[in-house]
Amino acid sequence: MHTNRYTLIYIVVLSFIVAVVLAFTFSGLKPIHDANEAVFKKRDILSSVKDQLPIDIVKASTEEVLEHFDASIEQVVIDANGKVVEGAKADDIDMKQEEKKPLEERQYPIYIYEGAEAKYYLIAIRGNGLWDKIWGTIAMKDDFNTIAGVSFDHVTETAGLGAEIKDSEAFKKAFQGKKLYNDNGEYVSVAIVKGGVKKPSHQVDAIAGATITSKGVTEMMNRGLAIYLPYFDSLKK
Amino acid sequence: MGELLDIFLKSIFMENMVLSYFLGMCSFLAVSKSVKTAVGLGAAVIFVLTLTVPINWFINVKILGENGLFGMDLTFLRFILFIATIAATVQLVEMVIEKFSPALYSALGIFLPLITVNCAILGGALFMVSREYNFVEATTFGFGSGFGFFIAIILMAAIREKIRYSAVPGPLRGLGMAFLITGLMGMAFMGLMGINPGLYFQ
Amino acid sequence: MAETATQTVPEKEPLFGKKERKLLIDPLNDNNPITVQVLGICSALAVTSMVKPAVIMALSATFVMAFSNLTISLLRKGIPKQVRMIVQLVVIAFLVTIVELVLKAANYPIWKQLSVYIGLIITNCIVMGRLEAYAMANKPWRSFLDGIGNGLGYGILLVMVAVARELFGKGSLMGFKIIGNTPDCLIDTTTNAWFGWYMQNNIMVLPAAALFVICVIIWVQRARNSKLVDIS
Repeated sequence: MHTNRYTLIYIVVLSFIVAVVLAFTFSGLKPIHDANEAVFKKRDILSSVKDQLPIDIVKASTEEVLEHFDASIEQVVIDANGKVVEGAKADDIDMKQEEKKPLEERQYPIYIYEGAEAKYYLIAIRGNGLWDKIWGTIAMKDDFNTIAGVSFDHVTETAGLGAEIKDSEAFKKAFQGKKLYNDNGEYVSVAIVKGGVKKPSHQVDAIAGATITSKGVTEMMNRGLAIYLPYFDSLKK
Repeated sequence: MGELLDIFLKSIFMENMVLSYFLGMCSFLAVSKSVKTAVGLGAAVIFVLTLTVPINWFINVKILGENGLFGMDLTFLRFILFIATIAATVQLVEMVIEKFSPALYSALGIFLPLITVNCAILGGALFMVSREYNFVEATTFGFGSGFGFFIAIILMAAIREKIRYSAVPGPLRGLGMAFLITGLMGMAFMGLMGINPGLYFQ
Repeated sequence: MAETATQTVPEKEPLFGKKERKLLIDPLNDNNPITVQVLGICSALAVTSMVKPAVIMALSATFVMAFSNLTISLLRKGIPKQVRMIVQLVVIAFLVTIVELVLKAANYPIWKQLSVYIGLIITNCIVMGRLEAYAMANKPWRSFLDGIGNGLGYGILLVMVAVARELFGKGSLMGFKIIGNTPDCLIDTTTNAWFGWYMQNNIMVLPAAALFVICVIIWVQRARNSKLVDIS
């Protein structure tokens, strides 16, 4: 049996060693963690316009992604009424934090991608999936009606079912060319439907077995895109 | 209130620790041979989860967070402090129960040490972090998850008591059958997923 | 590693004799941590829907097991009995944090995918179980081997389950498409006359499927090795 004093000293010394080693490892790796996180987000944003990119977004190295992002993206922030917030950078907007604010105080990020031929407006949307939050980036063409591409992500949708919104290239590709407005100029957004697409410019075929996630994406797009419409209207004039 | 009820019901049914996330399986499989012991372990888990999730919330936000006691990002100490808290809480609970309620101690006593290494307890704390609950939500979540575990293990024990009289193929007897039953129960619980109780209580 | 072993073992013991081999081989089958000892099942279910995270998880767990066994075995004479469990947990949590930090730096997407399950290696009962049952009473080199053996025994099962789930559930292995109804698969079921009947089994990607796969593995293992059969 060891004495209490021995036990105490033992614990203190052990905790001290462990804490110091971890602190060193953590601060040593912190820059890499931050870079990884930034690149992960930027890769995600850029992948919504990946057909327009000169680089292969999946294979591109960290430097290439950052370089391209900085060179070709203009960042804008809008408030809940669609007015541009002067001097704000889209990178500083965290949709997760915005969600906790009251509706009228929220701010939304827009990344304007200067492509070789045209401008694309990459906007962030966020909603609920089956298990937890889902979010995505929608790339709008500069007619502010046609979708050029999408990318989605999620916290923890079921792998192989709901998670396909992120993993399935075919699903994301189906959004290209969809329209926000119908022929009469009314906002109808894009819906994900089961059992065959009837209105090809406003509907996308659902992923088999992922009903709730599909509903979540529909709701997220309908609500999320509407927020940006006043801003788009102001640009159209 | 609707928020809390949502978290509570979800953590019991739709996001059941055992049957949806399959956490805490070791003790779930080992102690579900009879309903009586299952009730003991289940009660102990409720107890410990309800205590440790709020305590760990406090540690995570007030001590390790950037706005916490030291004003810097100490999240790399999260695992160590969480598990130390859990171990210490379990030990403390054990001593308190032993002192004040020998009857309860003899019922729960042997399960308490098992609980320290129950994934559901640490899992509860880690989910609480990744879902960014506030204090009240964290407490509700802790209690709900514990209750979910309680329900799951009692159901399992009841089924296993019955299945003892069935002619299960030799190699499948015991553990193999337990896996199969848990899988089927998990699939049954999947029928509940996607229900959003919050919508009904606003 | 070899140096520490020869220092702490004054009497002549082979560095890699029969006993050492047994330590490595036994957990792979006869004494498999998951199917026989019933330990560490939680993570086996959550991370096995695809092979890649399963392999990463297996490697992380093996690393943690080997080095926690080694550390505890080196410290075993000095650890105060009253706080034995806390000391063990601190060592494990320390190693797991290192693994998490390194993984976050090395492969961010995989780190995101594994999320809380890396942290749950701490409560993986195999790690604690081996510390209690082996490392507290044995010399460092053997404890280290025991850790690796059990880590591999755990890992091999994870990978087996993951292979079955990814192949039948998604028709791919390590992300490489093998069978499915798109042209980029090795066997395209829409054009291939022999596999036209094939459909992806969506049940396999659900977590519950891992239980069924493990159940089948247990069945096969016990049918071949009757001394493992549960008679109760």
